[in-house]
Amino acid sequence: MEINAREKSNVIIFDIEGEIRRSDLTDVTLHQLVKDQLDDGKRNILLNFRNVEFIDSFGVGEILASYISTHNLGGKLKIAKISKKLYIIFQVTMLTKVFEIFDDEDMALDSYFKD
Amino acid sequence: MAKNRPYKILSRIIEIKPGEKNISLLLFFYFFLIMAPYYIIKPVRDAQYLIVKGSKELPIAYLLTALIMGFFVAFYSKLQIKVQRHVLIISSLIFFIVTCFLFGLLFRKGLPWMPLVFWIWANIFIVVLVTQFWILVNDIFNPREAKRLIGFFGSGGILGGVFGGLLTGFLGFNFSDYLLFIATGILIISVFIVNYIFIWQRKRISTEDRAEKKDDENKEGAPKVGFKDCFDTVRRNYYLKLLAAVVTITFVVSTLIDWQYKSVIDIKIHANDKTTFFGYFHAAMLVFPFFVQLLMTSSLIKRFGIRFAIMVYPLILLICSLGIAAYPSLIFAVIIKGSDKSLSFSLNQSVRELLYIPISSEFKYKAKIFIDMFLNRFAKGIGALILLIFIIFHLDWQVRVQVVSAIIVVFILAWAFLNLKVSKEYTNTVKQKLEMKWERADRLVAEKMDLDYTKLVFDTLESKNRSSVLYAMHLFDLIKQDKLTSEVKKLISYKSDEVRVSSLGALFEGGETSLGPETDDYISEEVLEKEVKEIMSLDVYQKVMEDYFEKVLVDESKEAETAKMEAAKAIGMMESHSPLAQKLEEFLRDESPEVSRYAIESAARLRKREHVPALIQKLHSPFTREDASAALEKYGSRVTGTLADYLGDSEEDIELRKGAASVLARIGTQEAADFLTWVLTEDKGDIDIELIDALDRIRSERPDVQFQEGIVTTKIAELIKKHFHILIDFYDSKLMEKKQKMSENLPKDLTVSLMNIFKLLGLIYPHEDINKAYQNIKTGTKESMAYAVELLDNTLQKEIKDVIFPLVEELSLEERVKRCRGLLKGFPIL
Repeated sequence: MEINAREKSNVIIFDIEGEIRRSDLTDVTLHQLVKDQLDDGKRNILLNFRNVEFIDSFGVGEILASYISTHNLGGKLKIAKISKKLYIIFQVTMLTKVFEIFDDEDMALDSYFKD
Repeated sequence: MAKNRPYKILSRIIEIKPGEKNISLLLFFYFFLIMAPYYIIKPVRDAQYLIVKGSKELPIAYLLTALIMGFFVAFYSKLQIKVQRHVLIISSLIFFIVTCFLFGLLFRKGLPWMPLVFWIWANIFIVVLVTQFWILVNDIFNPREAKRLIGFFGSGGILGGVFGGLLTGFLGFNFSDYLLFIATGILIISVFIVNYIFIWQRKRISTEDRAEKKDDENKEGAPKVGFKDCFDTVRRNYYLKLLAAVVTITFVVSTLIDWQYKSVIDIKIHANDKTTFFGYFHAAMLVFPFFVQLLMTSSLIKRFGIRFAIMVYPLILLICSLGIAAYPSLIFAVIIKGSDKSLSFSLNQSVRELLYIPISSEFKYKAKIFIDMFLNRFAKGIGALILLIFIIFHLDWQVRVQVVSAIIVVFILAWAFLNLKVSKEYTNTVKQKLEMKWERADRLVAEKMDLDYTKLVFDTLESKNRSSVLYAMHLFDLIKQDKLTSEVKKLISYKSDEVRVSSLGALFEGGETSLGPETDDYISEEVLEKEVKEIMSLDVYQKVMEDYFEKVLVDESKEAETAKMEAAKAIGMMESHSPLAQKLEEFLRDESPEVSRYAIESAARLRKREHVPALIQKLHSPFTREDASAALEKYGSRVTGTLADYLGDSEEDIELRKGAASVLARIGTQEAADFLTWVLTEDKGDIDIELIDALDRIRSERPDVQFQEGIVTTKIAELIKKHFHILIDFYDSKLMEKKQKMSENLPKDLTVSLMNIFKLLGLIYPHEDINKAYQNIKTGTKESMAYAVELLDNTLQKEIKDVIFPLVEELSLEERVKRCRGLLKGFPIL
């Protein structure tokens, strides 16, 4: 898994590539990367899932932990460009009740502005 | 910018901020210029009436005023809908200028009906102009600004009263008609001041605010409201009803006191000296409240809060009433009237206006018209009705005064009771002005979704391509939990050609898309569960599998990882006392996070005490922390003591301690909260953030858990002190333009520190109120920040308020640091 962060319109976008799973460990977890941004005072986080192939339960835990940390500081964590399959999984597991999910990045960025 | 001379002088007397100087002075003079003529008109009115009609006929004047005021308010309420506020105020001033001048001319004719008409006119004059003034103040300021400045504006009115009273006292009875011309002249000046105020207001409103304002005005202007609507507004709102009741009692009491006082004056002061006496008396009685208003009102309200300030006036009148009942004399008449007059125009007026501020503007104006214009005169009517008994029964004046005192005492007791209710409801009204911007997300997530189920679905999908055994086990879990819904079946069958499910899985996967029990090989869930359980508990199964487990455990090849995962998961399906369950410890120690994750899950199912240390060790790694936390949470209160041991051991790995704090928060029992609080006081502060967050989580999820107030308060004091030091360091480093890196980190430290202080406050004060206050202080508008501070002002104890306010009030960094330095010198023991 590879995660790159960039900033656009006051939103930190994490471009995630590969699979967010326990067996695909990196030095720093997604949650830690999000926390670093929160420590820097950033409050708008967008996870770009365009190149995410799969997530396991550890990955879900990471995304939820990131969501909780962001939300508890009054911030917003949203998701963009999720694959159809992942979206169905998110629906079945009711993750769609918690996360705001957008078809593309621009729509997601607009939503922060509207908030 | 604001360092000019008038600002410097003003800021020494009152807490005025840059940008507030002009409007404060304008409002000061506006109030001066309407109160000065009134205090010229009032002695003339009183003297004329007492000379021509006598004190006995005063109840008639009170009653008629109340009646006519009812009609007038109905007319005025319709007028205020049709006419813009600035036009209405200026037109009213012009109306009173013209009529005052006409009264000046008519007085010379000595018409017999004149004192009564003039009495009623003077009452309408004061009610309209004063209400308009306070509506304007309400329009311009929020509660925090008003609290700081209200003393100053109020003192303008009192000073106007002193000026008018002294002038009347000096010119006396023989110049009554000329006095009215002077009043007319002063009123003319006020028109210009009011005009300047509206020019200032228009300039201040930014484009954004203007849009908001326009919306408000549209909202206000749209419905056709009249007197009935004003009355209904008050009737439907509990807080406004309380305010109305308080105002009614205040004015009934005031009327009774006025009558007591005038009855004594009627007997003791000669007719020709009455105008002079009233003039000097009013002036003298306003000098004291002028200083009270200017120097004490704001600081008294700020220091002791509305709850205390609201009780001062009735309690002083209660003492005075008892005094005049015991010694009915001129001195006591002057004391009771003086107290009533001075406090009603200083403290009481200010407090009453503050009570209106949190009400939404839509209701406020309607309520003010009904309460301040109609109800206070109506209350005088009630007072007059009570006094009518003295026209019917001829009693000695001293007895009359004593009987009235007894009635006053009864009213004051009811008044004090209502005041307590009003102050409580005021806090609720302020709360309603603030919105909760976010909830704790862990609670939100727990409420909206089933995390265990979510993970299970993901694990099932993940295992589909990895191992048919794991896949089958997950399906079995879904069946056991009655969660193999049609949606899940559909989801699992997605690209089902990728996996070849054997054994158990095949039972559910009849075809490409069919995973349900529609096949001929249908096995009921109960039977399946029972069979699996029975097989696993067979001695022979345990014996055969033991060899397999041993083999898997020693195999260090990459392929063995999946086998280990399967074995670790299988143990969770066995009885906790089965021989194979003893192997779980070894799987827990496995280096592969995948294997240990399944072992953790099984440990959570078996809940054996011997696995607890291994699970706690798993809190260290971010890759197993969440699973280990969830597993330990399932042990519940059985592990709180063990977790507390790790948590309290400062030599222990810090990540592990942080994890233990998080698990205790998830367990959330009273015992867990007590352990967390204890460590918070004993620890060096390395894991304060995690400890405080854990306590906050318990507070938000378990309202029944109690927190030790003393310990929490001590910690709050410690954190505030630390916050002061960070702030001072930040300021100093900025000044010296050095330690660039240090000053970069300090704002972050300040944010975290303030968040922790508020989380701790939330443990011992209403959690939602504290959260609302914090969130609005951090992310709210200027207005909502002011309401947030106001909420804290009415919620926190004085000692805590004193040290918290320099951190949350709208201050410049320089001023904030100055206050922190001052507080650090004699930091209070909380």
